Amino acid sequence: MRPAGLIASTLFLLLCAACSNEPRPRPPGTLFVSVEQQSAWVRNFNPLFPGAGSRWPTRAGVYECLELYTPSKGDFQPWLATGHAWSEDRRTLRFTLREGVRWSDGKAFTAEDVAYTFQLLRKHAALDAGGVWRFLSDVRAEGPHTVAFQFSRTFIPGFGDLAAQPIVPRHIWELVADPVTFTNPNPVATGPFTQVSVFRNQVYELSRNPYYWQPGKPAVRALRFLAFPTNDQANLALVEGEVDWAGNFVPAVDRTFVSKDPKHHARWFPLFGSTVFLYPNTTQPPLNDVRVRKALSMALDRERLVEIAMYGYTRPADATGLNDAYTGWRDAAVADDAWVRHDAKEAARLLDEAGLTRGPDGLRRQADGSPLTLDIEVVGGWSDWVRAGQVVARDLRKLGLQAQLRTYEFSAWQARLQKGEFQLAISWSLDGPTPYTFYKWMLSSATVRPVGEVAPANWQRYGDKETDALLERFEVTDSREEQQALMAQVQRRFSETAPAIPLFPNPSWGESNSKRFTGFPTEANPYARLSPHAEPDSLLVLTALVPREAP
Amino acid sequence: MRYVLRRLGFYLLAAWASLTMNFVIPRLAPGDPATAMFARFEGRISPEALVALKTAFGFTDAPWHVQYFTYLKHLLTGDFGLSYAYYPSPVTEVIGTGLLWTLGLAGCAVIISFAVGTMLGVLAAWNRGGWLDSALAPALAFLGAFPYFWLAMLALYLFGFGLGWFPLRHAYSHDVEPGATLTFIADVGRHAVLPAASIVVATLGGWMLSMRNTMVAVLGTDTLRLAHAKGLPPRQVMLRYAARNALLPNVTGFGMALGFVLSGSLLTEIVFSYPGTGYLLILAVRNQDYPLMQGLFLVITLAVLAANFAVDLLCLWLDPRTRAHA
Repeated sequence: MRPAGLIASTLFLLLCAACSNEPRPRPPGTLFVSVEQQSAWVRNFNPLFPGAGSRWPTRAGVYECLELYTPSKGDFQPWLATGHAWSEDRRTLRFTLREGVRWSDGKAFTAEDVAYTFQLLRKHAALDAGGVWRFLSDVRAEGPHTVAFQFSRTFIPGFGDLAAQPIVPRHIWELVADPVTFTNPNPVATGPFTQVSVFRNQVYELSRNPYYWQPGKPAVRALRFLAFPTNDQANLALVEGEVDWAGNFVPAVDRTFVSKDPKHHARWFPLFGSTVFLYPNTTQPPLNDVRVRKALSMALDRERLVEIAMYGYTRPADATGLNDAYTGWRDAAVADDAWVRHDAKEAARLLDEAGLTRGPDGLRRQADGSPLTLDIEVVGGWSDWVRAGQVVARDLRKLGLQAQLRTYEFSAWQARLQKGEFQLAISWSLDGPTPYTFYKWMLSSATVRPVGEVAPANWQRYGDKETDALLERFEVTDSREEQQALMAQVQRRFSETAPAIPLFPNPSWGESNSKRFTGFPTEANPYARLSPHAEPDSLLVLTALVPREAP
Repeated sequence: MRYVLRRLGFYLLAAWASLTMNFVIPRLAPGDPATAMFARFEGRISPEALVALKTAFGFTDAPWHVQYFTYLKHLLTGDFGLSYAYYPSPVTEVIGTGLLWTLGLAGCAVIISFAVGTMLGVLAAWNRGGWLDSALAPALAFLGAFPYFWLAMLALYLFGFGLGWFPLRHAYSHDVEPGATLTFIADVGRHAVLPAASIVVATLGGWMLSMRNTMVAVLGTDTLRLAHAKGLPPRQVMLRYAARNALLPNVTGFGMALGFVLSGSLLTEIVFSYPGTGYLLILAVRNQDYPLMQGLFLVITLAVLAANFAVDLLCLWLDPRTRAHA
């Protein structure tokens, strides 16, 4: 017993000594950020592979792209490229590169690097997330500061994909055997933070790029990331003031976070996230009938829905389905269309007109008299969607439809959705710099896959010939007025055909603590989205922040 | 010796069977890793990327029997491939981020809980009706009946958040350089107290009760009466005669508990943000990350089998009857 007792008491003393340690002061000028949620960090800074493997902010912070798209402004701004120009025939796009940019190892950044990056994407299809080689035929450097992209067909929206691609240095990646499986432990890049100064399973730190091209920037000395496995842990650290910048969903944020220190704690949840839809499977009767889809939409009390499902953090969707990142594109007349407003009487009339009349038991039947049931499919654990689904089911039942919520495990839900083996499902929508991407995956016939085949989007499987023609014209024009006019017509088609039922746009979650750093984006100063998830805006924030006390 | 060899053979067979199950079960689940990864972006990457991801993971389209033999070959060579969820990091590196911490934390907690619980059970049975028996045993059983998650949150709230005695998260402070220094060891110790204590408190009652109950039965046997009659000192009777005989069921339970250490501490990891394999396992299942799942299951299987083998050997030493059969 003696030695055991001795060991125990020594351990106890050791622990007491450790307990009495005061918390050490925070390293000055170090920004604590919470973006990814992991129980432990794995060292990976590969900017090319589109999967989730690389640590934040590899794609926009360590590496940089040619031009930055900022939804809050609705436009591109120069970054590694100072500008771009289309050739007369709209088949060649030339980017002019910024002079004086250097990689973090001191070597000069040139057009060769840009061309090589895109050649890598061509050689390794797995890296081509934007699918740029579907419309490119060649890319080459024209001198040190000009790079020319040769298009195989005129495709103006392709500019957005090219501008957003993180650029890697040729002299490093030439030597990499397989860029797809390369974890790039010590990145050489052009971004503001490139030096991995600490990397352990629960923390990593990125320090400044010694050769960063913006003089005097970044003012932040280093970025530090603590591993939090869940939202709750990250939120606790945020409320406690340990984390300076986060992009988490915080329940009752004004009470739990902002009110703790209203001078410094701030949140900004602009509606720049993808719009959440109730997707009808338009290959199945009666959902192939536009009157039925509009009736379902009008049955919904969206005001209540956003209150219950989203704690009032968002607004009901309008008839264009667009989120606030497209404010400049939205057609006000279309947005006001009635089919997204709650009107139970009109909904009932439309259903009667479509032949779905109430039987003696009050339940609606199909035109041939067979009973009609509607299953709404959502992912089991996603509580906001589950609540939304419950509200939808309740509103539909009021109309005499036998609607019920079905929760599935994520991958099962995903498989059913993609293969078109569902009736109604709640899911997200796709976004891009212009509404082109959004409407392409809503209405374009080219994106319709047969039932049983996996569709990456357009799960409702709806194609509209008129929209196809409009989108084709959109692809070949670079005049903003013409684009605007075409998009207004596409919005009109969307509202007329109602291929899917918009519910609400998602907020883009962002919280900041300005106790140690100033310069976070706010509603009054929306130079970028506050959410660190929002790439590549994160580059703007990372270079704008200034520590309050000089390190 | 023959007994030991026979047991070893049995364990090899069990290992093969479980490895095969390990291969089959994940593949029966719906979905595929590329779509799961794509879906985690909720539309933030373009649908074209799905094709790109499928290209990267293309090798999973091979027929099952081909996959099975490559799987076995890779296991034998220690090559678990690249994790899908953490693509392109190797599975060994991913498991490495948590394995030692889980072993250290949950392993120590289980050993402490077993040792203390068993000893308390011995004392409770020996002084039947005493305060240990009538007050502590029900109190511990009561604590053990709480949902673990709740117990851990309460401990974190009271001792971490409220009183500030212990850190709120992680296995060590983010600004302490890991190494064989006293500061680091003390830091790790301080971080381990709450999570380890919560596991011990939640499981102590089980060990104590089962030990006490077997011990009470053993105390009534003739062996014990003989030992008393021979005039042996009570302490020797209690430990060498009664406890040793009563220990067998608890040791078997201990073997099981040790084996499940690697998979069973998910809630501890989540509540205390402790790095570990439990969280990785959930993540692997959610993302259809077959390589990571297989790597983890292999480690868990081997741990369960090794712990059971060790218990077999321990029983051989504790219980002469098993030796007679061998």
